[in-house]
Amino acid sequence: MFDRDDELVDRVVRQLRQPVSIDPALDDRVMAEIAADPAPRATSRPRFSLRPWPWLAAAAVLGAIIIARPWTRGAENSGSNAFQFVLVAPQASSVALVGDFNDWDPARSPMRTAQGVWATTVPLAPGRYRYAFLVNGVEWRADPGAPDAHDDEFGTPSSVITVGGNGS
Amino acid sequence: MILTVLLLMTQVAVQDPRLERLDPETRSLVVSVVDSARAAGLPSEPLIQRALEGVTKGAQGPRIVAAVRRLATDLGTARGALGSGATAPELEAGVAALRAGAGPQVLTQLREARRPPLTMALAVLADLVTSGVPVDSASAIVLAFAPTARDADLVEFRRAVERDISLGAPPGAAASVRALNTGIRSTTDAAVPPGQPPRPPSRP
Repeated sequence: MFDRDDELVDRVVRQLRQPVSIDPALDDRVMAEIAADPAPRATSRPRFSLRPWPWLAAAAVLGAIIIARPWTRGAENSGSNAFQFVLVAPQASSVALVGDFNDWDPARSPMRTAQGVWATTVPLAPGRYRYAFLVNGVEWRADPGAPDAHDDEFGTPSSVITVGGNGS
Repeated sequence: MILTVLLLMTQVAVQDPRLERLDPETRSLVVSVVDSARAAGLPSEPLIQRALEGVTKGAQGPRIVAAVRRLATDLGTARGALGSGATAPELEAGVAALRAGAGPQVLTQLREARRPPLTMALAVLADLVTSGVPVDSASAIVLAFAPTARDADLVEFRRAVERDISLGAPPGAAASVRALNTGIRSTTDAAVPPGQPPRPPSRP
């Protein structure tokens, strides 16, 4: 067994000791191929992979900010549930619902009336929201069916609604 | 790179078109507060909404700025009690509980007693106190229910207490009686297999 291994090693050694002949024109052919290549890869790769990095990163951050629009509240995102707000005001000519969910903008959540019962539906994501009704554009009313916001700092009544994680 | 990101983040508040409803002087002060809050890791949206509430209600600029500053301070207190992992809704509900009279230690106890999100538990605590329930009683009840009660159970409890109060019951007594008599189902009760008798309601 050992003799057979020794014989194999001797054959390999003999093979490796044989002189290797290389075509004298090999160097010229390789250099000609390199010179004919239109794209100098060795110099272009590092420049492409490193220099655009800050600009790509800045563009990504800017794009993320624009898409995510962090100044908009989560109510417009997925996972929100629809909640109906109702106010009985038979004498009112207009009622608007304003709150943390619509940037306190009376034009965002118009309420419709049916025999003095004003109602509108708003999608709300989990969270705690302050809101109020603006009657006839001048009179502020809290929601009689919801807890009051006792920490109102602007001298008008407001209510609060809390939406749990499961929309409760 | 970091400078670029910081500049972009700063511009978000400056370019927020909603704040254009404020007069320039008030807007500048509000943006300053919002930027400081954001730098401290606090949510900025509640502050913007408070400013918008003020301008819609016709409040004067100094009053709006004071309200925004106070809210930023309270958000920081709430985060100190609820931990840095608290979400924006939890912090807002925490502020409501603090302003209702609950101490920061109650918020911390609630965080330790209940799995997040804590938004509804904190809101119910605030609502109970603003309904007239003594803060100590409301805190004890919510903390007792916190480990197992579902959000919907807490809301139903609050509604029941408010109904009793509207019918003339003293707030503290209404909350105590409801706490003893209301069968708030725990989260484990929902897992009772069909056909098996339900377990008795959990009690604080």
